[in-house]
Amino acid sequence: MSDSDAADGAAGEGAALATLDEALREQFTWYVVAKKEFQDTVRSKGLWVLSLVFLVLFVVPLLSVVFDFLGLGRAARTSGTGVLINSIYLNLVALLLPLIAMFVGYAALTRERESGSLKVLLSLPFSRRDVIIGKVVGRCAVVALPLLAALALTALLVVSMSIPFDPVLYGLFVLFTVGLALVMVSIAVSISGAVPSGRWSLVVNFFAYFYFSFVWNSLANGIGNLLQNQLGMGGAIRWQITLFVKLLSPTQAYKTLVNSRIAANTGANAERLARLEMFSPNADRATLCTDVLLGNATVQQTVFGGNRTVCQSAGNAVPFYFSDAAVFVYLLLWIGLAAAISYYTFDRVDL
Amino acid sequence: MAAIELDGVTKRFGDVEALRGVDMEVREGEIFGFLGPNGAGKTTTIDVLLDFVRATEGSATVLGHDVHEESRAIRERTGVLPEGFDVYGRLTGRQHVEFVSEAKGADADPDAVCERVGLDPEDFDRKAGGYSKGMKQRLVLGMALVGEPDLLILDEPSTGLDPNGARRMREIVREERERGATVFFSSHILGQVESVCDRVAILQDGEVVAVDTVEGLREAAGTETVLTVNLAESVDGVVAAAEGVAGVESARLSGATVIVRCSDDVKMDVLTAIEDAGGNVENFDTDEASLDELFAAYTEDEE
Repeated sequence: MSDSDAADGAAGEGAALATLDEALREQFTWYVVAKKEFQDTVRSKGLWVLSLVFLVLFVVPLLSVVFDFLGLGRAARTSGTGVLINSIYLNLVALLLPLIAMFVGYAALTRERESGSLKVLLSLPFSRRDVIIGKVVGRCAVVALPLLAALALTALLVVSMSIPFDPVLYGLFVLFTVGLALVMVSIAVSISGAVPSGRWSLVVNFFAYFYFSFVWNSLANGIGNLLQNQLGMGGAIRWQITLFVKLLSPTQAYKTLVNSRIAANTGANAERLARLEMFSPNADRATLCTDVLLGNATVQQTVFGGNRTVCQSAGNAVPFYFSDAAVFVYLLLWIGLAAAISYYTFDRVDL
Repeated sequence: MAAIELDGVTKRFGDVEALRGVDMEVREGEIFGFLGPNGAGKTTTIDVLLDFVRATEGSATVLGHDVHEESRAIRERTGVLPEGFDVYGRLTGRQHVEFVSEAKGADADPDAVCERVGLDPEDFDRKAGGYSKGMKQRLVLGMALVGEPDLLILDEPSTGLDPNGARRMREIVREERERGATVFFSSHILGQVESVCDRVAILQDGEVVAVDTVEGLREAAGTETVLTVNLAESVDGVVAAAEGVAGVESARLSGATVIVRCSDDVKMDVLTAIEDAGGNVENFDTDEASLDELFAAYTEDEE
């Protein structure tokens, strides 16, 4: 869905909507599948459950500000949106949103296959590609709608609690959060198109979630170690590849994007610091800073007598392929990649 | 041009050979019955036509299009009632018909469809999840009719229908042919096929064992009339006399009853021969082989 679709839809005039509906139908063969998918799911209790879950996820944590748990109330009231996102939402969303999204998507195709409605669907003039794309778009809309509503409500509450509200930062947070949700829904729907049954889909989806959330970082570090120890590829290239692999995890990409935008409020070095933050303290931060992220590394003595590498801006930006814009593109590329793999599998299988 | 053409289609699922070199041609504008016992491969054949499964060997075209390469073009002009389908439980009957209408770029009147397949208008606006099997069958048949397709593929269309529904279905099949459509439907029940089909094919263990008109099949199967003649009393020599008539396959005596298997057109000759041999015929009865016996004759020969 492009921005203009959303803008036209918001115009809200019946005639305009009908024209849009007609135009989309003619333009995209998958559109009718997506529409049916949305209509069908919207009528289920699932949408209400989903709205409730998002409400709990985003609104309930605000209570910790109201009741001033962990000193958050004061910090939030002085520093506003950035602190709120960083200390409350970032890790919570990165952990739970992919899980919720996968539950929405995992049965999208397997349930139709198991019930037999897929036979009705595919006896109509849709290609299997239309079915995959239509399902992905339809389910994405199903998640995006209550998610946007919950985020809008959260914004209203934040403003009403007279916490300093930064609309640009919050807008970007919404963009990245919806982006992550869509990516995970797409992956889940795609898995359900690529496996033979709902049970398989659940298992594979769970492993995908587990790997992305808990294993991917170790995997990236492991690849780095392997390059260094087995292939003798040390220095910049090792750390470049490690960083790149880390960024390929949707949740890692999401976190570093949000961190970067929060930090952007306080300095121009935000992207560099956010990428550097993805590494543990015992990584070669000097190389990462200077050779990979094109910054200026200086070693400072800490008060405890140890050394600390500080990465400063050398007056130039990080390489474009490690910039926020690029990371956002990597994140969204998952939608296409997952759908392509799913189509490749689904197109070959006997129903 | 043939509406459907299968050329040496073989389909293997692992070690199981579901179709073994199926050759078949369905002509444009005919009602074609696809017969066979359950498990013979009827649904697999239809699945190949719709590109739900891909043939291991051989090729098939529908409406002149290759079933795999140009499947979409086929499905644009084909209405399908699949086997083992389900409807979308949360959408109403009307929404189903509208969905098909949008998918096919047709401009169907949902109410007309509803009336034609005999669905209650009230049910039509209820969620299809609560429909009975027969109602779902009517709904999906209605969906298949949307957009005046050139070809209808109906897999076991009478499943779950009551006698009225089955009659309505046969009427629709005839109406569709009148309109110029080709109708291809499968069944394991011969009674449905006999009255409505122009031609039939019989599939057995993944092979087509016969393609013909119903009458042609009857002749080709060489089935005969069983003539039962009740005599006033048992008489020697009537069996020999009956067997002497050309066209009689066998005759035997059971008490005062002579049972003769013969072709249909020599019945009177047999009766005359029996009377000439001194038999006093009180009454007689003829029994034509039913299609079920015919079907059994075909499918059991293959064992």
